[in-house]
Amino acid sequence: MCHCGLNISGVVDVEKVADYASNLQGVVISRHYQYMCSEPGQRMIRDDIRTHKLNRIIIAACSPRMHEETFRKAATEAGLNPYLVEIVNLREHVSWPHAEEPDEATAKAISLVRIGVAHVKLLKPLKKKKVSVEKSVLVVGGGIAGIQASLDLANAGLKVYLVEKTPSIGGRMAQLDKTFPTLDCSACILTPKMVDVSKNQNVVLFTNSEIKSVAGFVGNYDVTVQKNPRFVEEAKCVGCELCTKACPVKVPNRFDENLSGTRAISIYSPYAVPKVAAISPNYCLRLKTKNKTVCGKCEEACEAKAINFEQEPETVRLRVGSVVVAVGSGVFDASKMREFGYGRFQNVISNIEFERISNASGPTTGKILNPRSGKAPNSLVFVQCVGSRDKRFNEYCCRVGCMVSLKQAVLAREKLGKDVNIYICYNDLRAFGKGYEEFYQRARLMGINFVAGIPSDIRSAIDGSLYFDVFESGTNKLVELHADLVVLANCLVACEDTEKIGKLFHVLRSADGFLLEAHPKLRPLECSTPGIFLAGTCQSPKDIPDTVSQASGAAAKVMDLLSKGEIELEPLKAIVDEDLCSGCRICETLCPFMAIETKSRRKKGAEELTAKVVEAMCQGCGLCGAACPTGAISIQQYSDCQVLAQVEAALVETSHHGGTVR
Amino acid sequence: MSLTDLMSRAKPNPVSQKNMLARLRGRGLLNCFLCIKCTSGCTALKLLELKPHEIEKLVNFGFVDELASSDIIWTCATCLKCIQRCPQKASPYHVIIALRNLAVEKEVRVPEPYMKAVSLILESGLAEPIQKVTSKKMEVCDRESLGLRKTNPPKESFQAAFMKALEEKQP
Repeated sequence: MCHCGLNISGVVDVEKVADYASNLQGVVISRHYQYMCSEPGQRMIRDDIRTHKLNRIIIAACSPRMHEETFRKAATEAGLNPYLVEIVNLREHVSWPHAEEPDEATAKAISLVRIGVAHVKLLKPLKKKKVSVEKSVLVVGGGIAGIQASLDLANAGLKVYLVEKTPSIGGRMAQLDKTFPTLDCSACILTPKMVDVSKNQNVVLFTNSEIKSVAGFVGNYDVTVQKNPRFVEEAKCVGCELCTKACPVKVPNRFDENLSGTRAISIYSPYAVPKVAAISPNYCLRLKTKNKTVCGKCEEACEAKAINFEQEPETVRLRVGSVVVAVGSGVFDASKMREFGYGRFQNVISNIEFERISNASGPTTGKILNPRSGKAPNSLVFVQCVGSRDKRFNEYCCRVGCMVSLKQAVLAREKLGKDVNIYICYNDLRAFGKGYEEFYQRARLMGINFVAGIPSDIRSAIDGSLYFDVFESGTNKLVELHADLVVLANCLVACEDTEKIGKLFHVLRSADGFLLEAHPKLRPLECSTPGIFLAGTCQSPKDIPDTVSQASGAAAKVMDLLSKGEIELEPLKAIVDEDLCSGCRICETLCPFMAIETKSRRKKGAEELTAKVVEAMCQGCGLCGAACPTGAISIQQYSDCQVLAQVEAALVETSHHGGTVR
Repeated sequence: MSLTDLMSRAKPNPVSQKNMLARLRGRGLLNCFLCIKCTSGCTALKLLELKPHEIEKLVNFGFVDELASSDIIWTCATCLKCIQRCPQKASPYHVIIALRNLAVEKEVRVPEPYMKAVSLILESGLAEPIQKVTSKKMEVCDRESLGLRKTNPPKESFQAAFMKALEEKQP
């Protein structure tokens, strides 16, 4: 029994539990110690296994997700099969939830230990299986996270397939003007990496492409990628943009957040990689009408003869050992928050729109102009926490909103001069990163006014300018602010792709919609599905430094996984008793991991169907075992008789304070 | 309690706070992080100096008695903007109504217009008295001249039940 400092022993009477356990049938020795996971604690386990020739051990401590591996290793070192170790969770299941009721907690601990003893007696020694792995990686998403992970992996000698949905890599970061807290130009630090990744011999780039299906298991995933047609031959296009000049169809420019227009055939961004045009089939006159005589101006203009209206979607099958998911995030749609008038007033804009307006490659060539009047604003207000820290929309803090607004306020001060009034309405200003607090100071010294209070609503005056009341809590005054331009600090939200990706790769999502890591502290880069890793804002909102760190971390994790050329698989899988299996195939339809196949065999001359578990894909979830009508399929260590023994032990009559010994 | 208001030497009253939390069914409606959106948009702030965020914070600190006996809780215009726009689903409105109920229970002086409204409900069944209006042509009209039917006073059984409920409230 582990005290876990005071985490367990502060609530549970460990001595009493240990004493109870020592009287249970089959128990040779029972001990309690302050930190079982520490070296002295592990040594105690090893010594006891050797001296008392123990053939089973139970550790009553924290969650098995935390230290099961640690104790299995300790047992192995002492010569015991690691699968003969049972963990009883006395921390997450007892002392933490029942901190207010120590007596009941102790009684529950006693019951759980008794159940554990009943189970451990029936455990069977198991062996890990080894499988070989494919030394190649799929990276989903070509933003800065995907680019960084691809570069790291390619430089380590692994084959990388980088798949991006839009016609160019670069992602969100390509849209930004400058980056906090150093005010580096975003494009200047990103575009060299975009070029690097496209030139790297080990990287195969798929732009305008999507993942269609995923099968297989860690080390051996089979992935189908669909290359959507650009209607322009990538090999022939030279990126001269003559086609764009010839195209008569005006369409909103996605890269500019629809603040400017482009043509139905265009290059995604000024620094697109690959610099190849693409036709958007929803707008192109010929593709929409499917009439070969319509328009065709781009075809006439193209000197390289790259336009191909006949292009079809192309599917590519890939076999990869591991996957890095870096699909990024979306930006909150502020029109859902009616009181701020986004969507109703043209001069209420979002922070990502401000980035495009402030960006030299954007719709105003970097001049900060009011989209309504086309003039430079005299007074600018930033409103914080739009869509985040708000139970109506997203409860989380978006982590970047404060710094983005500080940066944009500083950029506005630099570009518009010192006579312009700039206000930031905030409730808590969070400048938590390296150099961030210093940046906040810099903003204050530049005469940016900080208003401690959020407006209730934003209104438009007759001349189109905006005004609103806000109660400033620092001065206890109700103030009225007039502004030509209001910038909303919209939060980052899980994009619609996370749902799709979650389903394809069996990645769970947390309540906020972002993809879920295996453990928030100790396994933040990997998913609970083995071989799938997370990088960037698809896991949680984060800024560029954190995204790049996570991408490099995920890449290192992939190298760790694939470096040996083979991996060991957990043996806690489903097994089929072929004699009992009736071949009803219920398990096959239920299995969420596609780990059950049917095989036919000859028995007494007749052909019979039986279920077969693909061990490498089985995650040991137990769904098949629960559903099997004949009891033919069960999970190792959790067969019916092993579970029923636990149930029986749980139902032994107990007095309120402690249990009776059978 | 270890907190003291040095302006008035007042200390929070944990018993009243507990009572208040029971009325509000926990701290959900007091879950305020002081974004001050409620006060920025409060209808009663400009003329009557009601600051909903202050009420939230004071109840959280435990200064319930002071609030219950203050006049400020009677200034709320019950426009409900604060509920609609609160990012934390807290509700100064519900807190204010709970404080008003507490004030009535403690027999703190209730402002005159509220008492008038009560007696009016007893007499006529209406919260506001029926008023005469002046038309554009400067004619003064009442219900009779406009051909509207007479309003009936509430039934005696309602009045009895109302009085009984009031008496039960006051131990």
